[in-house]
Amino acid sequence: MSAKNMEKVEQATNRKNISLPMSRVRLIMKSSPDVSCINQDALFLTTKATELFVQHLALSSYKNGSGKETNTLSYSDLANAAEESETFQFLTDILPKKILAREYLKSLEEMEKDADNL
Amino acid sequence: MDGDSSTTDASQLGITGEYMAGSHFVLAQAQEGDEGLNDHEDGDGSKDNLREQDIYLPIANVARIMKNAIPQTGKIAKDAKECVQECVSEFISFITSEPLKLYLQKFREAMKGEKGISTVTVTEGMGEELTDETFTNPLPAGIITADGQQQNVMVYTTSYQQIPGVQQLQFS
Repeated sequence: MSAKNMEKVEQATNRKNISLPMSRVRLIMKSSPDVSCINQDALFLTTKATELFVQHLALSSYKNGSGKETNTLSYSDLANAAEESETFQFLTDILPKKILAREYLKSLEEMEKDADNL
Repeated sequence: MDGDSSTTDASQLGITGEYMAGSHFVLAQAQEGDEGLNDHEDGDGSKDNLREQDIYLPIANVARIMKNAIPQTGKIAKDAKECVQECVSEFISFITSEPLKLYLQKFREAMKGEKGISTVTVTEGMGEELTDETFTNPLPAGIITADGQQQNVMVYTTSYQQIPGVQQLQFS
């Protein structure tokens, strides 16, 4: 099981194989301000790095999350990884932990009560 | 998803904005999408009119990479895939903007320097293990490790050559 995956991961990292479209990556890079031209090597490097990032994120979240229990990588695993790991701190804004609406309303009420008390 | 524009077009249905509060978002998106298509045909359109598929990488590719990373028997929730898609775009923007700041900083420093600077090169590598240090380090750092080999990889390169007879500009 892991040998086959290792082979795939090695293949992806060793050769020039990339699974992500470079044109799309360039588009996203260009959406940053002040970026005019992008070196071809830089583009390839970014694409490769993104691939490795996805692998890293998926694997860390999976390991820290459900693990042996549900065998599924869920959103909450990702949110936990974003919060706990220093590496993924930059993702905390787009990976907020989900709470139930009623819990949010409850905390809203408590905040209002505190405001009233003051 | 794009087909919804026909039913949510407020002007066609004659419904005021108040009643269409929720779907007003959908209407706005559909309009932007159409404009985005036109802009693409015209060439370099405004960066605001990007469709959703332009700002994210294709979910199939992302999902495939994720699947290969986790153990064989694992499954991935659909919202997890979508969310990683967004994270990936965020990541790309992040690593694009950070070296750019460094590059601009170095460029300005180099322009202040002596005459006859032949190249301004910013070398920046990206480590496989991303840490906050990598992005806050003022000096170029980081390495790509592949099979234990360490390399510094050039990301941004400019070459500045002194042209005889042209006066050097002094940047403050």
